Amino acid sequence: MSTAMNFGSKSFTPRPPEKGAFPLDHFGECKAFKEKFMKCLRDNNFDNSMCRLQSKDYLECRMDHQLMAKEPLSKLGFRDLMDPPPNQSDGDSKP
Amino acid sequence: MLLPLLLRQAAACRAAPKMLLHHPAEHHFLRRRLPPRLHAQSRNRKSKSGQQQQDEWRTRNKTALTYIAAAGVGMIGLSYAAVPLYRLYCQASGLGGTAVAGHDVDQVETMTPVKERIIKVTFNADRHASMQWNFKPQQTEIFVVPGETALAFYRAKNPTDKPIIGISTYNVVPFEAGQYFNKIQCFCFEEQRLNPHEEVDMPVFFYIDPEFDEDPRMARVDTITLSYTFFEAKEGQKLPLPGYSYN
Repeated sequence: MSTAMNFGSKSFTPRPPEKGAFPLDHFGECKAFKEKFMKCLRDNNFDNSMCRLQSKDYLECRMDHQLMAKEPLSKLGFRDLMDPPPNQSDGDSKP
Repeated sequence: MLLPLLLRQAAACRAAPKMLLHHPAEHHFLRRRLPPRLHAQSRNRKSKSGQQQQDEWRTRNKTALTYIAAAGVGMIGLSYAAVPLYRLYCQASGLGGTAVAGHDVDQVETMTPVKERIIKVTFNADRHASMQWNFKPQQTEIFVVPGETALAFYRAKNPTDKPIIGISTYNVVPFEAGQYFNKIQCFCFEEQRLNPHEEVDMPVFFYIDPEFDEDPRMARVDTITLSYTFFEAKEGQKLPLPGYSYN
């Protein structure tokens, strides 16, 4: 944490998360999905764009087990994964 | 200026001879009165112009005073109005670390990823010296692009025999990039309880604002470091949280 002793220097103000905090997964219900996601990351050199499907699966698991508030996945930025293939080509054409 | 006076005097003199015939003494009086008359008239003119001047000064002073008073009232009003105006300006420009306005949930839905700009996000885990959890990130780095949501994991283990409640906060370096780093959901700012010998995965779901790519100050920023620090929370202790209300 920055010691904001010097007046005028830019300091960091933490912001609360938009949807609050994740409840802890005490029973490891979604551990399998997490392992799939981590394996995908390791295989793809930690490139997030390649592993979005696995992250979507993990969040869906959380929602199914009441570890996350249920929300349409498009609100979580997975709109491109939800659209059927004909629409996805339109999504790719966007800059 | 004196010409009309002289003319008037001449006319009076012309008229005077009639009187002279009748009253030579009066002519004498007339003559004698000339200088005093001149004086009297000039004095009258001077006093008239003097009064005019005084009146002019008075009105000028009044208008000047009104203008000054209006300016003073305007300054006071401006100083009162400056408070909300400055707040608006700070929100719009993001100076001083204030939360940039316009961060709403709909942005996540509508934003498009900027695929050309790849940013490396490195993860760091810290804990307070007296905190006995083992806390570490499960990946050292992840490559994301602005506008794309990303998931990352930390792992925490309680090796002791008693339950420990932890609470965490985070930090983003470089500081200026912090305003573009948005967390949708994480595990910070809330008490997390770990039972003895329990190990959990803690996810962080975040994205980098697409406007990051358009900020000239961020043109050379390729690495962002996200650092979490865990502290131990005592039972019943309520920490002041940054704008985050406890339920």
